[in-house]
Amino acid sequence: MAAVTGEVSWFCCGSAWGPCASTGRGACGTCTSGNFQHAWPNASAACLAITRPDTCGTSLSRRTCGFVHYTTNLCNGARVGTSIADCGPQTDLFCGERACCGSSCGTNRIIDLTPAAYSAIASLSTGLRPCSVNTV
Amino acid sequence: MANTMDRRRLLSTAVLGGAGIAGATALGSLAPEAAFAAEPVKVVPGQPDPNFAEGRVTTINGSVVLLAGSDGALYRIQVTNGTSIWKFQPTTFDRLEKGDGMYVRGVRLPDGTLAADSLWANIVNLTAHIASVGRNVLHLDHHGRRLIGHVVPGTTAAVYNGTPAISDISLLRVGGHVQIIGAWHPDTNEISIATVYAAN
Repeated sequence: MAAVTGEVSWFCCGSAWGPCASTGRGACGTCTSGNFQHAWPNASAACLAITRPDTCGTSLSRRTCGFVHYTTNLCNGARVGTSIADCGPQTDLFCGERACCGSSCGTNRIIDLTPAAYSAIASLSTGLRPCSVNTV
Repeated sequence: MANTMDRRRLLSTAVLGGAGIAGATALGSLAPEAAFAAEPVKVVPGQPDPNFAEGRVTTINGSVVLLAGSDGALYRIQVTNGTSIWKFQPTTFDRLEKGDGMYVRGVRLPDGTLAADSLWANIVNLTAHIASVGRNVLHLDHHGRRLIGHVVPGTTAAVYNGTPAISDISLLRVGGHVQIIGAWHPDTNEISIATVYAAN
């Protein structure tokens, strides 16, 4: 898979406090906020039917639970490796959305990281960053 | 990397009672974006990160925060003068309270203490639908549960489909889908909204 450029955000899963307490352990049943994991929009056919990145013009390969992706924050070059633990983000709800740092931009939401993983490459308070995602 | 070693030594020195450190040092800024760019990550994908902790504050004693992890683990967090603290907005250590929910990233010391680089109190990142809009309040449907999102004039920012953040939330639509970065009000179904991302 060639690197895909888009947007990265974060989500909580597993045991949690506050509004996160109701989120559960994700589609793979393994998701934990403190682990280096992520949600992927094409984790299964059923998942893709919900997230629909194709309707935004983004084609993402089918990758299932446990598959490892490497996400690079285009704002600072920081990179983190994570494994698939959930289905998401729901790309079609934010079709065409664009995040930029200077001239480095990403369009459409393509990956959500756990708080542990996102905080390794960006501040949680940023919420959304342009990124590239690769398999190596 | 030399820079990483210097940074870890700096934090450890501060934790162990050495010279105090400020938000910016000879190594450069300790602000989150700079810190993340400087720290290589060596955690195996899928595995827990020993340099990360989450949970709720049970005790604050001096500059040490004890966290009860949601999974039952207990964490001892050492806050230093260089720790970046967020609680709805960038803030200071004295704003932390017992009962706050927390995510912490730092450096694990030999005794198991986590020396905090960055600490986010009560931060939430929610996707929701807008059920109704009131004066400085959004009623949100979050996975079938109702949340009250407070708009804080002068602080809350709105981002409409990737455009630069503005303070005007009047373009938000009932039924619209939003992502919200905010701060939970502990033990309630209420949050204060820092940034709302809307797909208009």
